[in-house]
Amino acid sequence: MEKAVAKAAAVDGRSVGSNRLGGIVNQVGIYGVALLFILLGAALQGAGIINNFLSAQNFFNIIDAVALLGIVAVGMAFVTYSGHYADMSVPTTMALTGIVAVELLSFGFVQALLAALAVGLAIGLINAVVVGKFKANPIIWTLAMNYVTMGIIRFVWVNKQIYPDMKTDDKLTVALFDNIFRYRFFNVVGLPVVVMLVMMVLAHILMTRTAYGAQLKLTGSARKAARFSGINVDKVVGIAFLLAAFTATVGGLTVTSLSRVGAWYNGAGYDFRAVTAVVIGGMTLAGGRGSIIGVMGGAFVIGLMNNIMTLLGIGTFSQDMIRGAIFIVVVGINAKSLRSLGRDDA
Amino acid sequence: MRQVGKRFPGTIAVDSVDFEVYAGEVHALVGENGAGKSTLMKMLAGSFNDYTGQIFINDKEVALHSPSIAKKFGIGMIYQELSLAKPISIAENILAGHLPHKGPFVDKAAMRSAATRLMAMVGLDLDPGLPIEDISQHEAQLVEIAKVLGTNPCILVMDEPTSALSREEVERLFTIIEGLKKRGMAIVYISHHLPEIFRVADRVTVMRDGKKVGTKDIAEASREEIVQMMVGKSVKEFYKRRERTIGDVRLRVRNLSRWGFFHGVSFEAKQGEILGICGLSGAGRSELARVLVGLDPMDSGEIELDGEILQGRGMAFFLAKGLAYLTEDRKSEGLALRLSVEDNTLSAVIPSLAKGIFFDKKKGAPTVEQLLKELSVYPPDPNRTVGNLSGGNQQKVLLAKWLAGKPKVLILDEPTRGVDIGAKMIIHEAVERLAEGGNTVVLISSDLPELVGLSDRVMIMRKGRFIKEMGYEQCTEEAVLLAANGEETA
Repeated sequence: MEKAVAKAAAVDGRSVGSNRLGGIVNQVGIYGVALLFILLGAALQGAGIINNFLSAQNFFNIIDAVALLGIVAVGMAFVTYSGHYADMSVPTTMALTGIVAVELLSFGFVQALLAALAVGLAIGLINAVVVGKFKANPIIWTLAMNYVTMGIIRFVWVNKQIYPDMKTDDKLTVALFDNIFRYRFFNVVGLPVVVMLVMMVLAHILMTRTAYGAQLKLTGSARKAARFSGINVDKVVGIAFLLAAFTATVGGLTVTSLSRVGAWYNGAGYDFRAVTAVVIGGMTLAGGRGSIIGVMGGAFVIGLMNNIMTLLGIGTFSQDMIRGAIFIVVVGINAKSLRSLGRDDA
Repeated sequence: MRQVGKRFPGTIAVDSVDFEVYAGEVHALVGENGAGKSTLMKMLAGSFNDYTGQIFINDKEVALHSPSIAKKFGIGMIYQELSLAKPISIAENILAGHLPHKGPFVDKAAMRSAATRLMAMVGLDLDPGLPIEDISQHEAQLVEIAKVLGTNPCILVMDEPTSALSREEVERLFTIIEGLKKRGMAIVYISHHLPEIFRVADRVTVMRDGKKVGTKDIAEASREEIVQMMVGKSVKEFYKRRERTIGDVRLRVRNLSRWGFFHGVSFEAKQGEILGICGLSGAGRSELARVLVGLDPMDSGEIELDGEILQGRGMAFFLAKGLAYLTEDRKSEGLALRLSVEDNTLSAVIPSLAKGIFFDKKKGAPTVEQLLKELSVYPPDPNRTVGNLSGGNQQKVLLAKWLAGKPKVLILDEPTRGVDIGAKMIIHEAVERLAEGGNTVVLISSDLPELVGLSDRVMIMRKGRFIKEMGYEQCTEEAVLLAANGEETA
């Protein structure tokens, strides 16, 4: 048996070596990167290049922005973890659910939210069936879904932005919808942050402590082997898309409430931003690797980066370019470390 | 190759090995999984730029630090896994990398004739315009050889070239090898299959633990001697039949069909019995197994387990009832190579270990530890990535995954394909223990000594039907093989 030892150790040693680069960015190391960004911000302020980075107000700005992204990224993480890259229908899911909630406010606050949830989950269910059961390419399908949903929004509401007070005369409902996500616990911690934290904790438990999480990990790592282990992989993947739709719905309601308007552009950009948070948080696009803790770190880094770039006065398009470049680099490192792991045996 | 070595962090995979192969010779390289054969040959193919020692080709020292350099020196490699692109034509595959061209355009006529010439060298008479996906596995294997021949190698390395071939196809391959030998090519032949080596090789070198044990002329070597060199100890009697008590009928299959694959299959398997199923490739053995565990739907028939006719659908249902299937395709269907030994071992028992929706891996830890010990998985570390284990140990983990669920009926599909003798013995032990415990084992195997040695009964399957049943007493390798080929024993 000794030869087996030698060989196994050999391959292992090699993979550890080549994975070191990826490992720095992966997992908990992402918080180190977040710390670097904070130091960078502090340094820039020290040098007098930017103002207000180290202020209480800016801290809340960052946290609030991170919260919204974090909420959406949680669901996205399940899709990535399942080995299906990303749910590109997130932006219009966010927009549509927000619009639906505002539109139906006249039926009552809770009723409107439930209706929005039903619409979001319906989109998720379609994705779940088509990608999970019929095995459509996840990117192409959800992208198509995104366009269809956008079409529906434009068809029904044209270009209109709808405001809660247009839809109901009940002042209390309007005030509730407009202000609920602005509520700050102890005047400090905003509701979105709490929602994000609760969802992160639940998602972390779901991923690491439940039968579903274990099956998702297997499915994401090796879908065929999972199927041959008696796991209903269609269902497992489907649930991941439902979770993505659920968090997109929560994110949609949050952004609509914060902006106090239901509009087609409400979720724009959250597909790519969420995937970036997920991937730089250490979840590989190949599936089955990474953790929710890492994803939260990823959301933090993106939030910090955006904040610093905005304070520096970098334009939106340039920001997109920088985020895209970072995404490419991280995915490149990921791919490299995965390739060197995927060694043959014998 | 003189005193060559390759060190990986933490270990030496190949340790000062001398190896030589002459023109016009077939030199077999054998050893258990992880002995260092593949690493040695990868050095020759230029996969490493940091090997130690010297490599000489035609008495000239060369530095084979990249695959393209190795190719330039005339080294051709044929790996176990085919490297052909499925949708494109045979000709384009054979000539990939050096397509004949006229200006910027591919010269189709020249391509066809060059491909036809190379295919003739391997005795292949096909339209070079056919896409790879339209030809059979063994034809693809020959195309692969033709492709390597197209680079004009003087040294040809074949790594387990026969693992996907049937008996007749292997014979054809050997004829081709003879032909190449006559042309003065030096051939290194890596195989687990000793009869093949005696059939085709001139000399044999045995490796163990990254070291060379010795080289022998095939004429002077005996099978036992080589096995002993490989394992480093004398092999005990390989298949010593142990007494088992066979109980009541556990699995009863009636008239089971899946159109196009198998038809009207009926059989019974009893508690404590090992039922062998034998058939040539394409006889429908694996397809039968997949229906038996609910991976594929049945078109007609009944499956009865312990008197209960199974009505549900899907593998999860069948698994919960106690039917399990160990796939023949370890790498893609069997194991999640990127996950740990523990994750893989527990992968089929998640529902039974879970409490409500919650699942705690630690609950399964004692089971994993015990199975690793029972099957002597090396290293016995539940946290190691499965992909980093040797083939034999991966196969043991695959078996452990199914043993963990204590199935009533375990269907094994080629449970020892491509594993070394040590692992094979351990797997056989475990299978016999399972049967002794009153479980039913259905054994599908192309390894005839294994099938005949382990089974209490053998069912012969041919073209989707059961054509014959043989008791243990009538079972010999020859009888089983003849029956599988549709011939009667004299």
